[in-house]
Amino acid sequence: MTAVFPAPVAETSTKLVLALPKGRILAECAPVLARAGIVPDPAYADESSRALRFATNEEGLDVIRVRSFDVATFVAFGAAAIGICGADVLMEFDYPEIYAPLDLGIGACRISVAEPRATAGQDDPATWSRVRVASKYPNVTRRHFAQRGIQAEVVELNGAMELAPTLGLSRLIVDLVATGSTLKANDLVETEVIAPVTSRLIVNRTALKTNPELVGVWIQRFRQALA
Amino acid sequence: MTPEDATGDKPHPALLPAGLRDLLPPEAETEAGAVEALMAAFSAHGYQRVKPPLLEFEDTLFAGAGAAMAEQTFRLLDPDTRRMMGVRADMTPQVARIATTRLAGAARPLRLSYAGQCLRQGSDAREPERQIAQAGIELIGADSPEADAEVVAVAAEALASLGVTRTSFDLTHPPLIPALLEESGISSTALARALDRKDAAAVARHAGTLAGTLTELLLAAGPAARALAALAAAPLTTRAREHADRLAATVAAIEARAPGLVLTVDPVEFRGLRYHTGVSVTIYAPGRVEELGRGGRYLCGEAEPATGITLYPDSVLRAAPARPARARLYVPHGMDGAAQRAAGFATVAGLAPVADQAAEARRLGCGYVLGADGKPVLLEQRHG
Repeated sequence: MTAVFPAPVAETSTKLVLALPKGRILAECAPVLARAGIVPDPAYADESSRALRFATNEEGLDVIRVRSFDVATFVAFGAAAIGICGADVLMEFDYPEIYAPLDLGIGACRISVAEPRATAGQDDPATWSRVRVASKYPNVTRRHFAQRGIQAEVVELNGAMELAPTLGLSRLIVDLVATGSTLKANDLVETEVIAPVTSRLIVNRTALKTNPELVGVWIQRFRQALA
Repeated sequence: MTPEDATGDKPHPALLPAGLRDLLPPEAETEAGAVEALMAAFSAHGYQRVKPPLLEFEDTLFAGAGAAMAEQTFRLLDPDTRRMMGVRADMTPQVARIATTRLAGAARPLRLSYAGQCLRQGSDAREPERQIAQAGIELIGADSPEADAEVVAVAAEALASLGVTRTSFDLTHPPLIPALLEESGISSTALARALDRKDAAAVARHAGTLAGTLTELLLAAGPAARALAALAAAPLTTRAREHADRLAATVAAIEARAPGLVLTVDPVEFRGLRYHTGVSVTIYAPGRVEELGRGGRYLCGEAEPATGITLYPDSVLRAAPARPARARLYVPHGMDGAAQRAAGFATVAGLAPVADQAAEARRLGCGYVLGADGKPVLLEQRHG
């Protein structure tokens, strides 16, 4: 029988967990962490390392390395007290349990609508009732088009979005655009910017409420790292 | 195996609708005991129990303070009157209705307590539960910092009776920021949202001349003294200043009535059960993600000031130290366990003679067996 009211887990570890995103933003995080005085275990920067949780020079702080979307989930559920993730992820998930007290200004890009050069500007989107869009941001996409009176049928993909229009999977894509070179290479053009994106320091609401001194100190250290 | 089983078409008999569950032994008894302990603490402070029904007509359920719960409420049609009814999603509006109707003539301040089950449409993966137990108090007809402090102190005492002493009470004043924005001539849903998510970048973008003040207050959330100092130093407008003063007075009243409680203050938060019109409180247990309870000031009926706190017994129990279950004693066939029941044992009667009484006792989950001399014998624990 699983206990519905398990005895409380002894708080042997008061370690704070900082969730960091793999991939694009990882490298840009390094200087911010350094200025905040956080030196993770060397294995952290090694993308080939199988470890997921790393100690730091700070006794009370561990870092975990997870997918960008998962940073928000770990923090929303309180598994990690603080994290760094893109504003795109926060727009997509919209967890009320996440506070975003600092704009770190790194990982700048934008979340945009793009379509094949051949069809761009060919007809007026105001006449559309619905449109099929490939994206890994179904909520952002639906919301964006709904505000224009258009139903978006979202085809959820996790990568290679740029293939979708050319292979007839969708008319448009909604994706992150940094330099635009991937779009260009696939003969797509950016037709609308939905929102600019930078990375945010995020904290779990309950962690801030129940451990305000400790969490507050980390917010303050990141804030000073930006100054 | 039938073809239905293989394809999974036939639902498993144990499967319940999402967000609902069976409580089994010993948890069901633990829960009932905990609710009674909370209610006893409330009763000891003069809060008298009321018992509203599970469902009522939606127009009474959603009147006044209840409107905030409308979208989370399960509804059904009354076959008699053809009127829509709602299953309560929160008991506070029901108690407010009782206070303003059937108990309109009762002396004020009126102290009422209640416990019961509520049903909510599940919101998301973080709060998947649809059936929520509540146990709470309402203090109706008093608008003072001392009234705010009383419900906090009584709730803290009720929690302590279950061994939940490591708590923190987060105080907010939901009308403060809306008053500041209104008096500053700023009206922006984008800003309200940004403040709710403590999204500093978006606050700076939308707040105009208030950006500096709001950012400082945003980061001031934390220990009560620090947050109140930031509020005192902030350039507030007239009504916002009155709200801030009331928040400070409430903190002082709580510190006077219940010294030693851990208090935090979040100056910009205006979240809550959405009907709150004054100082509000959320109870946390350090190290636990879920809230133990919520409360705050609201209007009872049209204009009567009221405040209250609702505890969530399920979360409270998860934060509480384990309570020892009552010891179970196997009483062999033909013997009487009355004296042992009086001594606190739960007795399990053998319905027929058995060869190995110790083995039978263990099989039935008993830690003791009643010996031939009429004395309980502790059985050796067997592992594996």
